[in-house]
Amino acid sequence: MAAKSLSGTGEYVPKKREVVKTPAEKVSDILYWILRSAIVINVVALFFPSLNPARLSEGINKNLSLFSCGVSYDSIVVNLKRALKQEWVSEDAFALIFYASLIIIIAVIIIAASGCLSLGSHKMKKVGLAVTLGGGVIEAVGLAALFQAHSEIVETTVANKADKILLLNAEGVPDPDYLPPAFILFIVLISVIILLSIVNLFLVPRSMMGEGFSMEPKFQLFLMMLPVIALAFVFSYLPLYGWRYAFFDYKAGESLAGKEPTLNYFTMLFQNAATRRDIANVLKNTLAMSGLGIATSWVPMVFAIFLSEIRNSRFKRIVQTFTTIPNFISWVLVYAIAIAIFNTDGFINTLINSMGGSATENYLMSDSHMWLKMLAWGIWKGTGWSAIIYIAAISGIDQGLYEAATVDGAGRFAKMWYITIPELIPTFCVLLLMSIANILSNGMEQYLVFSNAMNREKIQVLDLYVYNLGIGSGLIPLSTVIGMVKSVISVILLFAANGVSKLIRGESIV
Amino acid sequence: MENLTLKKKGENAGLSDNTTHIKQTPGDIVFNVINYLFFGVFTLSCIFPFYYIFINTISDNELVKSGAITLIPRGITISNYIAMFKVNDLWNSVVVTVGRTLIGTCLMVFVSGLAGYLVTKEEMWHRKFWYRFLVITMYFNAGLIPWYLNMSMLGLTNNFMAYIIPGIVSPYNIILVKTYVESIPSEIEESAFMDGASYWTIFCKIIWPLSKPILATIAIFGAVGHWNSFQDSLILNSNSPELFTLQHRLYIYLNQSSNLGAIVASGTSSTDSAAIAGAMNTKIIQYTISMVTIIPILCVYPFLMKYFEKGLMLGAVKG
Repeated sequence: MAAKSLSGTGEYVPKKREVVKTPAEKVSDILYWILRSAIVINVVALFFPSLNPARLSEGINKNLSLFSCGVSYDSIVVNLKRALKQEWVSEDAFALIFYASLIIIIAVIIIAASGCLSLGSHKMKKVGLAVTLGGGVIEAVGLAALFQAHSEIVETTVANKADKILLLNAEGVPDPDYLPPAFILFIVLISVIILLSIVNLFLVPRSMMGEGFSMEPKFQLFLMMLPVIALAFVFSYLPLYGWRYAFFDYKAGESLAGKEPTLNYFTMLFQNAATRRDIANVLKNTLAMSGLGIATSWVPMVFAIFLSEIRNSRFKRIVQTFTTIPNFISWVLVYAIAIAIFNTDGFINTLINSMGGSATENYLMSDSHMWLKMLAWGIWKGTGWSAIIYIAAISGIDQGLYEAATVDGAGRFAKMWYITIPELIPTFCVLLLMSIANILSNGMEQYLVFSNAMNREKIQVLDLYVYNLGIGSGLIPLSTVIGMVKSVISVILLFAANGVSKLIRGESIV
Repeated sequence: MENLTLKKKGENAGLSDNTTHIKQTPGDIVFNVINYLFFGVFTLSCIFPFYYIFINTISDNELVKSGAITLIPRGITISNYIAMFKVNDLWNSVVVTVGRTLIGTCLMVFVSGLAGYLVTKEEMWHRKFWYRFLVITMYFNAGLIPWYLNMSMLGLTNNFMAYIIPGIVSPYNIILVKTYVESIPSEIEESAFMDGASYWTIFCKIIWPLSKPILATIAIFGAVGHWNSFQDSLILNSNSPELFTLQHRLYIYLNQSSNLGAIVASGTSSTDSAAIAGAMNTKIIQYTISMVTIIPILCVYPFLMKYFEKGLMLGAVKG
């Protein structure tokens, strides 16, 4: 990659002198890895509902993470409004849970920040450990407050409502002595963090003279990058954890705890007649519309070739500007345009009526030629934009080729066929392979906005089906299964397309 | 209408331009006529719908209702737009959409710039691994439902932050910035490094100013994306009407075939809501909101065209 061109970068970084490490430092390095792992787990645990130590009452939502508990008191008591009104349990306990969660969140942020300092010089490490210790103590205070809240809940609960307030233990019985496993986990984590930071305070050697507060460049860069990495992890990798819903009989709002894993939703795809029929229909629509898109993928190329035949640059500019506009409006707006033109009181009917006819047909409500209509909208929206890349490629073709061809007596079309098109084919192939790799993902927005009661059967593509099934009907496991299968097939197709590209062009496309 | 005249002029000029070079055969003339005609019609089909919607919103409402407006506006008035300003729901959506566009784009551009710079630094701890870690995310996704469940687990449903935070890290834009930063001569950076500048200083004082062209390009794409976004509002914030984006609001209005006037009127604060409901029928309300949604894009588009093209070309050479 081009990154190599920046090789100069490596040269001016002052090389750190190799120092022989004492046994104490080696031990300290190992302990540091344990400490850092504990800190990372502690941070991650903030966001997992199943690892929420603040869920000390059956009335608190199972899908609430410690982080949500600490940022919104309302989310804690949302299911407890009645219980608190009727004074089945003291409200102070839940306020305490809120404040304790907030304290723990702040402590974890402090600990995480000080954990970053552990990548620095000895002096920085020492300061970092002291801060970690402080944060650990604060977190311990938060946990103690949670424990206090738990005992308050147990004490103040009205006896006959205990099953609604008290936590259920492993046997499903309300148990005043039961603490959630996440609570134990947090106690273990915080003990490890406090213990290791104390031990390391003794193991890390005193800073040498003039060493100061510094960090190696490689770690500086890494720490600047860390927030980006964390966000990418949370929003791109963490959803993969949601694939577990495919293996449980899950309904929205429930907890997975205590459910038996099942493969029913995988076999359902093939065995349930109604589902099978739906999927066959959806696949037919998906492949048909993607196929039509692929079959017409030459349109932008031809558009560009013919546009380049126009000599008037002002006209060319106008065409290029206006034909790219549709690419920048959303599908909702495209639908608004469709309504303006093709609805009962749209442009076409208005025009016919103003010339003495009486047209009242609503073209959007019919299901005839749905695939072709969707293709036409796609071409209308995308052609001008997709053509730009070919227009640029055409302007890069050596004019000498055309001149030589003219001398040889080649006409306009011969030049197009024997010079322009062969020059554009590589670009075309890359785009074609990409669209083949995306054959199952034609997005849902276009089909969602155009779908109505009349055309639903013909327009439902895979993405829209998953949306309707999962969000619309709440069939989470089944829609997750379909999404999973789709994701896996898409990745395989992408690798296949990449392999083909490598084979015939010697270049990869991803 | 202006376009038509422009096109005519262009056509004439084009033909006369050609004749000065070579003598045109009849075949050339036929070809040119067909070619110009095709592009003229296609361009018209791209621009006419906007024009048609626009003339209907500025014409007299009674004429629009009777279907008298086809090509020329009549009885010009801006009362529809003024009435729309009084619809609280719509205002709400405008504020939400403008807010997410500004905040979301700024954060995305800053993070893309910083991350794009950082991933060029060979000396970063496990740079290759982290770079791949980011890039891979472009090529797979877990699927809609796991994504939704993840967002709800993180508390990002019925929450304005759901529009902002997930869009901050955009691997594609990071690659674009990285490619650009690599083209900046490394001597500039080295000399700053010799003078004792930190990475942060180098980024703020050197890389950021020098990368402005690419940052402007991704900012524009990001802003258009935010302005047009509809799915996140539909899926994540469906229970919070006060957080609907403009596109989502438009979608809802487009799907209300009847008594849209009453619905819109109920969302207005002013006392003349009944008057609005009476004066405007479904069609006019839909057209006016479409125009409100589309005008910002149409207004900025001609000025930013070159950035859009640049973005596309950069995308083509990414690596």
